[in-house]
Amino acid sequence: MATIEERVKAVTARVLKVDADKIKLEDSFAADLGAESVQSIELVAMFEEEFGIEMEEEAALSVETVGSAIEFIADVCKQQGVEA
Amino acid sequence: MTQEIKPHPLAAVAEPNLLDQTFEYSLPPRIRFESPVVEIIDGQPVEFDPRTIPQRDIVITDTTFRDGQQARPPYTIDQMVHIYDLLSRLSGPNGVIRQTEFFLYTKNDRATLDRCRELGHRFPECTGWIRAVKGDFRLVKEAGLSETGMLTSCSDYHIFLKLKFDRKQALDSYCSVVDAALEAGVRPRCHLEDITRADIDGFVLPFIDRLMEMSRQVPEHLTVKIRLCDTMGFGLSYPGVELPRSIPKLIYKINRECGVPSDRLEWHGHNDFHKVHVNGATAWLYGCNALNSTLFGFGERTGNPPLEGAVMEYIALKGDMCGLDTTAITVLADYMRSIGMPIPDHYPFVGRAFNTTRAGIHAGGLRQDERIYNIFDTAKVLGRPPRVAITDKSGADGVAVWVNEYFCLSGADRINKIKVHPVARWVLDQYEIHGRLTTISDEEMEAKVKELLPDYWDKYKKPSITNT
Repeated sequence: MATIEERVKAVTARVLKVDADKIKLEDSFAADLGAESVQSIELVAMFEEEFGIEMEEEAALSVETVGSAIEFIADVCKQQGVEA
Repeated sequence: MTQEIKPHPLAAVAEPNLLDQTFEYSLPPRIRFESPVVEIIDGQPVEFDPRTIPQRDIVITDTTFRDGQQARPPYTIDQMVHIYDLLSRLSGPNGVIRQTEFFLYTKNDRATLDRCRELGHRFPECTGWIRAVKGDFRLVKEAGLSETGMLTSCSDYHIFLKLKFDRKQALDSYCSVVDAALEAGVRPRCHLEDITRADIDGFVLPFIDRLMEMSRQVPEHLTVKIRLCDTMGFGLSYPGVELPRSIPKLIYKINRECGVPSDRLEWHGHNDFHKVHVNGATAWLYGCNALNSTLFGFGERTGNPPLEGAVMEYIALKGDMCGLDTTAITVLADYMRSIGMPIPDHYPFVGRAFNTTRAGIHAGGLRQDERIYNIFDTAKVLGRPPRVAITDKSGADGVAVWVNEYFCLSGADRINKIKVHPVARWVLDQYEIHGRLTTISDEEMEAKVKELLPDYWDKYKKPSITNT
């Protein structure tokens, strides 16, 4: 089974149309990967769908980097009893 | 002389100061004065105290059927009766909209007056309007009205160039009709046409002195009222302006030098210089108790003080709804549109877009707390919640506001912007991929919400916008 990191990178690559292998943990979704406003919303929506979780909107949208997103999603999965 | 610089330290507060004594959200924002106003008149400082406004019996009067109708094809009798009925609903039990005036010249004019009076409303009281000629006064008597306006033009443009009178002939002619009114027991309301272009000392004040002398001979209910008609919109509210354009000085002269009490003074403006509303409000502040207006400002040429604007000003000055049913303003606007009277989309309080934002950042603010970008509780006051118009600038915030408003969701039930992302994507693609240049209509949004948010549609769907 893929790790949280692999799944986050796969979703990010699909939504932002970038190469998953080139995504680094320190990459900023907006500055480095080019996420525009609506794409940020789509990323959060796709993460929710991928992991079967509900994320608090403002908190989720304030996450800036790929590494932070992995930590944030892991926390939410834990809080909501979802196996990731 | 040098001005000492005053330091302004930051007040780092823990809680926001929303200034809610002024910006109480359930009302139009209050207009609160903290001092008297001083105007220099004839070289002397004269004090006016607008803080007395909450205690004064200021009122709104209406001329939608007279001046308002001069600017358009005639209303039908049924239309006028319906508008009158709605004006009465708006006015409320305290009669904030105190009077409305009717032409009396045609059979239809008189039939309209009769049908409006048959409704039995106390307010607005029906009054008449005639030229200041004795032949016209017969119409007032026959209609059984207790008050009528009469045209008493007072600038030399009118006296000499229109009427071909000299000043004495004009004054005598006007006074003879006033006399006839008083003898018949009808209260005259002299409309001093073109007062802001008249010789105040040479004609206006002597004429008013005569009217006051005549008023002293009759019971209080017949005493002459004075309407100050800023016929060409020349009036100015600024302090220090000279007569005849100064509204403060005009009112001072008539109110305090001639002794016409405030409850017999009325301001009638025109909008030729975009000053019509503030000039009317200024007249209230300086001593006219009545502000004459028309629905949506429709009137001769550029129009008159908009009645709905006067209503908002009234509430703002009084700090209370005073019994007004302001939702009738929206009903009146819808009715006017339905009978072919155009109201621009951006027109305050009733235009289709008056509380619609197109900017995503504003929609974001609205979504967090509608007070950020809504002038007051427009849903409560006017039955019109704030809206967003959807374009490429709306963002997911704008789409979320639209969807929540469409489904009538509030509080914890509101759908967040994450959930509306398919619609937000569709919107953006219309502009970025398809090159669209127009706003997305409510009907298109409705169709896309149905298609792209089927779960919410099934849960909250309501009848089509086009059918409501």
